[in-house]
Amino acid sequence: MANFDWAYLFEISLTGIAGGGLYALAALAFVMVYKATRVVNIAIGEMLMAGAYLFFTFASMFALPLWLAIPAAVLGAGLLGAVIERTMIRPLLGEPPISVFMVTVGLASVLVGLVEMIWTADQRRLPDFMPTKPIMIGDAFLAPKVFWGAMIAVVFIAAVLLVFRFWRGGVALRATASDQAAAYSVGINVPRVFSLAWVASGMLAAISGIIVGSIGGISSSMGVFGLSVLVVVIVGGLDSVLGALIGGLLIGLIEALAGAYLGGEYKLLATFIVLVAVLLVRPYGLFGTHEIERL
Amino acid sequence: MEKIHRRSLIAAAGAAALASPLSVLAQSNEDIVIGGSIPLTGVFAFAGVGINAGIGDYVKMVNDAGGIKGRKIKYVPEDTGYKVDVSVAAFKKITSQNKVNLYYGDSTGFSKTINPELDRGGNILMAGASFATELNDPKKYPNQFLVGPDYTEMFGILLKHIAQEKPGAKVAFVYSDSEFGRDPIDSSEALAKQLGLSVAIKIMTPAGSVDVSTEVIKLRRARPDYTIFHGYILAPIPEFITQGKQQGMTSKWMGTFWTMDSSTVMKMGADGDGFMGVMPYRYYYDTEKAPMLEKIRAMRPEYQSTAYMQGFLATMLFLESAKRCLDGNKPLTGDNLKAALNSIKDFDTGGVIGVPITISGNSIPVGRVYKADMKAKKMVAASDWIKL
Amino acid sequence: MRIGTLKETYVADAALFDSRTQKVWLAVAAALLVLFPFMASDYWLYLACLVSINVASATGLNILTGYTGLVSLGQAAFMGLGAYTVAVLETKVGSPFVLNLLAGGFVAMLGGLIVGIPSLRVKGLYLAIATIAASFIAHFIFANWKFTGGTGGLSVPPATLFGLPLDTSFRLYWLIVPVTVLMLLGAANLFRTRVGRAFIAIRDRDISAEVLGIPLLRYKLLSFGLSSFYAGVAGGLWAYFFRVVTPESFPLLMSIFFLAAIIVGGMGSILGGILGAVFMTMVPELLKLVVDLLPGGSELTVFLSPVRTVIFGLLIIGFLVFEPHGLAEVWRRIRRFFHLWPFRN
Repeated sequence: MANFDWAYLFEISLTGIAGGGLYALAALAFVMVYKATRVVNIAIGEMLMAGAYLFFTFASMFALPLWLAIPAAVLGAGLLGAVIERTMIRPLLGEPPISVFMVTVGLASVLVGLVEMIWTADQRRLPDFMPTKPIMIGDAFLAPKVFWGAMIAVVFIAAVLLVFRFWRGGVALRATASDQAAAYSVGINVPRVFSLAWVASGMLAAISGIIVGSIGGISSSMGVFGLSVLVVVIVGGLDSVLGALIGGLLIGLIEALAGAYLGGEYKLLATFIVLVAVLLVRPYGLFGTHEIERL
Repeated sequence: MEKIHRRSLIAAAGAAALASPLSVLAQSNEDIVIGGSIPLTGVFAFAGVGINAGIGDYVKMVNDAGGIKGRKIKYVPEDTGYKVDVSVAAFKKITSQNKVNLYYGDSTGFSKTINPELDRGGNILMAGASFATELNDPKKYPNQFLVGPDYTEMFGILLKHIAQEKPGAKVAFVYSDSEFGRDPIDSSEALAKQLGLSVAIKIMTPAGSVDVSTEVIKLRRARPDYTIFHGYILAPIPEFITQGKQQGMTSKWMGTFWTMDSSTVMKMGADGDGFMGVMPYRYYYDTEKAPMLEKIRAMRPEYQSTAYMQGFLATMLFLESAKRCLDGNKPLTGDNLKAALNSIKDFDTGGVIGVPITISGNSIPVGRVYKADMKAKKMVAASDWIKL
Repeated sequence: MRIGTLKETYVADAALFDSRTQKVWLAVAAALLVLFPFMASDYWLYLACLVSINVASATGLNILTGYTGLVSLGQAAFMGLGAYTVAVLETKVGSPFVLNLLAGGFVAMLGGLIVGIPSLRVKGLYLAIATIAASFIAHFIFANWKFTGGTGGLSVPPATLFGLPLDTSFRLYWLIVPVTVLMLLGAANLFRTRVGRAFIAIRDRDISAEVLGIPLLRYKLLSFGLSSFYAGVAGGLWAYFFRVVTPESFPLLMSIFFLAAIIVGGMGSILGGILGAVFMTMVPELLKLVVDLLPGGSELTVFLSPVRTVIFGLLIIGFLVFEPHGLAEVWRRIRRFFHLWPFRN
């Protein structure tokens, strides 16, 4: 093993973990919704895409300065989240979870179609706004966009963890998640909590989308990112914020190693094999809460 | 009960009469029909719109000049969204409503699927947006042809150029995990060895991948002198170039046909300066003497993409084959049209392709290397016309 | 108003088609199916074959998801298994098409059994996600195994019946539609038997079903196996119809299409599967017709594809929000109106 290229391994792992930070941010948006409303939102990739396109519209088409464009896009995405919750999720409140899941499948199609109608299916690039100096750790290169994206993701995850722990709204969210009826009875406005969760999810998805879009460009097929996010949340636990972070980093690392040592076509395969393994061994993920089925 | 039976029988007969193929519109048998499965929407829409305009314009030009031997040309397109089954349905619909002689297909998948139909019917000559190597086989695909070099030939033109510029250079192939991407890789690797070049690394990126950082690291470690991208339109090429330059790579960057449209390359920004690639046609704004380009510029004052040129040229070759067929008093069947196409030797395309072309098989193995000049925001010629 | 539906024997009560009116309508439908290919143009024959294949596959998914309650997003992958099996057998062995179709069904069934094994531990949405993983793994195998032709796929020669090649939509109609009808009858009959009732019990409350003595793993596997057998045969028919099989032919989107079809049609009823598949296949064509009729045609066609995507999504959402039991329920309401007329329902 003396000739094994440790530097290469280190470099790949670093990039993989940083890339995983992006997954973590998108996974966080997913977990937000699941934690509060128990809805598996498979349209998370498309909400990401919507946020990225909103940013594109404000920054490129309306030529707004960055400090206006980013908040505008994020707020717009939050509004989208609220609209989705009110029109599609609220009416299905008592239905089996599979129905709501299928609604999010339909939502994904609707979002893709809308994006194609308004902005056409062409690939586009977002304006650059992140520093361009490459990050060097020893001899290892790290692409700046990926690094800063990961940093932003970590900041947000830490913020959300704190919010859940200390802010009343966060506590209300956790309360609604564990027992809806009890939350009602202590006076928590449950419908408002639902809306809040979806708004927050939309905003987080938008931030994630802006970062992902600035790395790889935007297109109407960006939503495919959502499938990797799904793997991350299953591995981490559907309702765990910490799980989103750890799961994201782990999946990013695995993808990078698979891509480097096996070849590009093995990336997605490796991810899905991990998914199947986790489903068989620990179906609720690393940090998820074990669901007890009662008759 | 008997009354109901009789009534429903009469109703059924009426419906049958309406639906029967005999009631198909009385189309003038004189028209030469070009059918098209065109991707006007979907991921290939930017090309589809251009192709559609190119075909339509050339047909209009010929019709305005009186048609071919007095026969008018009719162009019947259908949108397919770049999906194979929609393409096939469009083909069936158009061929059941018109007597089609020439057809334009939107993808490699469609061309392969419809081939047995073409062979069975024997009435249609087909070309399309695909430059797949597999289609460049006159035995397997006798009723089809490519409107330019196939992907392996495109690589061949680039590799020849590299071998001239820097003999013994190291080349890297970066391609997408799709049939489009994988198509020319193995044969091009062999060709590179023949030309004395070494293939430093072959990197395949998964379809729809966002973060290519790991691939850039691999590429950087291989230290190539030239990197050829294939199987993409735009993404993730700019990311590769930006990150590669950030990490100190000195490689020259090249691409194949579908990346090389002027508007696409211009999206690469400052880092894309010097990006090279193979283009079999002239660009809309080329200033060299080309009578056809002048006509196009007169018809269309705004920039037309290379996809437009492709559709335009495809129609030119279609109608040239039809003309040669009719000149020889031969009926317009698939075999005759193909034979007429293969009789095209040293044909002047009016400057759409810079040199006279000969179509001996299924492709036109000619192309030129163009380079991106970001200051002028144009693609400029970087080599002579290379014939394989 | 329907009267006189008294049944005197258990056998008569359990019959699939019990009233004379139903039998008459069935005969009319059969006659129409037989006459259709002689009246229709090539384009409509093509559509009819496509609809038929989709009906077969949707019925298979209905058995798994509609009747047994196991959500699957892997139907396209099982179709792919069937299609590739048929393609490989037809090109390399040349066996008769009946054998190939059955083999395709069996290979797909094996795939279904493998995917179904975790279904005891993994429930509901987790199972759905596991089926997504299965479909990606299948795609990977198809694209990277030289035996299946790699990304280029396989080209399938036409099926031959005593030397006559089945290469036009007209001839394929006579293969595809009877097979589909057989499969439909099989599925309808399945739910008169013990096995079918066990599936329904599992859907309603699987723990209670186990308490009542239904061995869960065996019946869940059976459900997966049957539904993927249906998918495999449908995939084989698909291979003979399109004559080219590539890894891109069976994307995740197709699985979503079938799930949408049974939701729109109505989960848990055979008629629902038929209506849903017909509806979802014909909507894009109807849309094209509408766009053709509207003035200002060519500018609108640019919007056709995204509008189609949006309508696809809206249909799913709309039916789930407003009519969760699908088109079959709409049909039942209409029928009820006629049964009870002149009384109000």
